[in-house]
Amino acid sequence: MKRIKTLTNNTLKNTVVKGGCGECQTSCQSACKTSCTVGNQSCENK
Amino acid sequence: MVHQYKNNGYNIVLDVCSGSVHVVDDLVYDMVEMYESKTKDEIAVEIKNKYKDLYSNEDILDAYSDIEELKAAGQLFTEDVYKDVVIDFKKRKTVVKALCLHIAHDCNLACQYCFADEGSYNGHPRELMSYEVGKKALDFLIENSGNRVNLEVDFFGGEPLMNFDVVKKLVEYGRSREKEAGKNFRFTLTTNGVLLNDEIIDFCNKEISNVVLSLDGRKEIHDLMRPTRNGKGSYDVIIDKFKNFVEKRGDKSYYVRGTFTRNNLDFTEDFKHMVDLGFKEISIEPVVSPDDCPYAIREEDVEAICKEYDKLALDIIERHKAGKPITFFHYMLDLNGGPCVYKRLSGCGSGTEYLAVTPQGELYPCHQFVGIDGFKLGDVYNGIEKTELVEEFKLCNVYAKDKCKDCFARFYCSGGCAANAYQFHGSILDAYDIGCKLQQKRVECAIMIKAALADLEEGE
Repeated sequence: MKRIKTLTNNTLKNTVVKGGCGECQTSCQSACKTSCTVGNQSCENK
Repeated sequence: MVHQYKNNGYNIVLDVCSGSVHVVDDLVYDMVEMYESKTKDEIAVEIKNKYKDLYSNEDILDAYSDIEELKAAGQLFTEDVYKDVVIDFKKRKTVVKALCLHIAHDCNLACQYCFADEGSYNGHPRELMSYEVGKKALDFLIENSGNRVNLEVDFFGGEPLMNFDVVKKLVEYGRSREKEAGKNFRFTLTTNGVLLNDEIIDFCNKEISNVVLSLDGRKEIHDLMRPTRNGKGSYDVIIDKFKNFVEKRGDKSYYVRGTFTRNNLDFTEDFKHMVDLGFKEISIEPVVSPDDCPYAIREEDVEAICKEYDKLALDIIERHKAGKPITFFHYMLDLNGGPCVYKRLSGCGSGTEYLAVTPQGELYPCHQFVGIDGFKLGDVYNGIEKTELVEEFKLCNVYAKDKCKDCFARFYCSGGCAANAYQFHGSILDAYDIGCKLQQKRVECAIMIKAALADLEEGE
């Protein structure tokens, strides 16, 4: 595709099956404490 | 749902529900915008009208077929199919996996923007948590954590180092129980730095998996909002201690974390100052304060802050180019991994898997709810007593919030901060509007940075 560069084709749909183990860090335990950010956290179940 | 925007010369198309990200040229960008509302022929006419002869019929047909190909591959115009699974997921029995231990409801600074009222938390007496209460809290966590292995305990305050002996003993106690309980404690600590010394630094570098060091940036900015209790600035007291801490920390995780207010909407300068001091892991967050505070972020500041986020993003790209990358907490994004949809959509976990514990052992949904009438859930001795409130927090997810329904950023913020929503709207199912706008902007910047770094890798 000469006009489209796909940075990620990772589909979140796939995580429905394997996700939800809950071992990941709680969002407020990282650095914020005043907002909520989850998109930058990592999965512990790769 | 598609979110598309232009930033720093990049045309970015985010397929919200799959998480796919595409960088496209002007032709595709415009065609994606029209795809759902116009026919193929109508789109071709619009493109011809706008661009005259710039694109041939073949170009237009090719672009259209590429868009259709991505759609068929589930990378464009995907639907939100997660509602039922996320709601079912939230109905499951929850376990407690993280505690915010208010080890000291007291502080040696008098930061103006402190949501904890300098440690008193809405009128609580100034006091320190005893070892017995802390121990009971860790027992409570182990007992209520089900099969969860990794347990998180944040030493928070006030200023937790005012009660360092108890911190030390609780880490020792937690470690002593890990093996028999089949658990792994991850301790974290947030400090203003005033009491740091080599003994504490060495202890933290051994035992504390992440430390958050509070620094607002430039001396005049830091001192303005973070005075000592006798009214002097605290920058000179803490800065060498933080440098020493980070130098000795090696590869272990830390954040130098600042708060910006409307006094420093040019917070990129504070970021640069932190970098100049040698810090590489940085977070700078907008203050969350009522509108009548002179330093509060107001609606009218949002545009300037968004421009500043752009400036910061460019600075970060330049540092990558120079081979000296810096981590900015809110621009971290793992496009190919990252959390599952459950994590992304099911809320922050406050009131269910994440609880705050006061020095007296009272349990609250999170550190920001401590001391607010009606939000005490129970205590570490008797466990959760106000189960109906836990049920309310359990239902807190993006599908329960009207404001999140059409927001592209919902997969990155999980519906935002319940405490902020409550503070501004009196409901945990609402959302703090300024916070949402800034979160949206940060997500856009974070994705744009990924596009720029992808170019960099390709040597463009």
